[in-house]
Amino acid sequence: MKRASILLVTALALAAGTAAFTQSFSVQLGNPRGPAQPVKFPHDIHAGKLGMDCLYCHYGAEKSAIANLPPVSTCMGCHKIAVTDRPEVQKLAGYYERGEPIPWVEVYRLPDHVKFNHKRHVRAGLTCQTCHGPVQAMNVVVQYPSLKMGWCVSCHRERMNDPGFPASTDCLICHH
Amino acid sequence: MARWGMVIDLDRCTGCGACVAACKVENNVQVVSPAEGERGRRMHWLRLLVEARGEYPHVEVRIAPNLCMMCENPPCTKVCPVHATYRGEDGLVGQIYPRCIGCRYCMAACPYSVKAFNWGSPEWPEALLSTLNPDVSMRPKGVVEKCTFCYHRLQLGREKARAEGRPLRESDYQPACVHSCPADAMTFGDLDDALSPAAQLSRSTRATRALEHLGTEPRVFYLEKRDAPL
Repeated sequence: MKRASILLVTALALAAGTAAFTQSFSVQLGNPRGPAQPVKFPHDIHAGKLGMDCLYCHYGAEKSAIANLPPVSTCMGCHKIAVTDRPEVQKLAGYYERGEPIPWVEVYRLPDHVKFNHKRHVRAGLTCQTCHGPVQAMNVVVQYPSLKMGWCVSCHRERMNDPGFPASTDCLICHH
Repeated sequence: MARWGMVIDLDRCTGCGACVAACKVENNVQVVSPAEGERGRRMHWLRLLVEARGEYPHVEVRIAPNLCMMCENPPCTKVCPVHATYRGEDGLVGQIYPRCIGCRYCMAACPYSVKAFNWGSPEWPEALLSTLNPDVSMRPKGVVEKCTFCYHRLQLGREKARAEGRPLRESDYQPACVHSCPADAMTFGDLDDALSPAAQLSRSTRATRALEHLGTEPRVFYLEKRDAPL
């Protein structure tokens, strides 16, 4: 009986250890809580309820390596008139009047030794949600993927033989 | 797949050093202090080898730009214990900095001495920070780096060609050194394309390759008068 219980405990410990070990390498959720932003911009209302296109604000994603953050004037295009009574919109108007950029907190950060290009991925037909998750349902944007190399490579391997846009697994493609 | 290569005409080269400067700026190559430089820690991906022969007034100076030869049979990749330096899909020899452990075996194996080791963390004067190229990553302390034939330019060229819906042309991809040469001494292109100027020059009777007897099959060719062999 004692031997059986020791075996059971060992087996359980091994199983838990293996699960933790494999999970640390597999695709996993990033930070489950997003950082607090200077202006509480709700993506779920803009991209979800109102159905705005991601490219309306992040227009660089299609054309350049970076998907830009919009200037305050892009927000003010609507918010000069729309819901001006809300405190967060008034905060936004304050930045606009002072001519200051909003100090947004970066959610997705890649180290310098990785060269990621938004344009190439958008051109290959990937949706924003493939990497960024259901942003249209997020009140506060969280880092959806782990952003580890294994996460990038797993997708690149799957699409290695894609007829239109084959994804390369050459190291130099991202590290140069 | 194109076989990218370079031809350098030593009879045209004036030794102005534009290629050296262009390379340093394009690739964020670290600026090393004179004191460190004297200890043999200079950082160059491309440098000029200067050799003077004869006695005054009959002096003959030979200047040869020296960069990674992108060997087809590279000795450096064979000694790397961590696969940080390897031949990539395009046949170019890559150096993957996050993978490099800084053992410097590749530097010892390279017969052309074109690799450089980062003895210190990259430091830049405030005024130069805005000149850094965002397409090229900064190398941390303790890794080996080398010329990449401006690989980022190949990617930009490919992207441009793709956006315009046409195959990649040679004019889309030129490394910074070739781009900057005022004497037109450097030619870059696909060595397998019989019509490309680089391929034609590489088959000229003046063409030689550095240390050819080692069997490294370099992709950089030098053109020179026949009476002065390399």
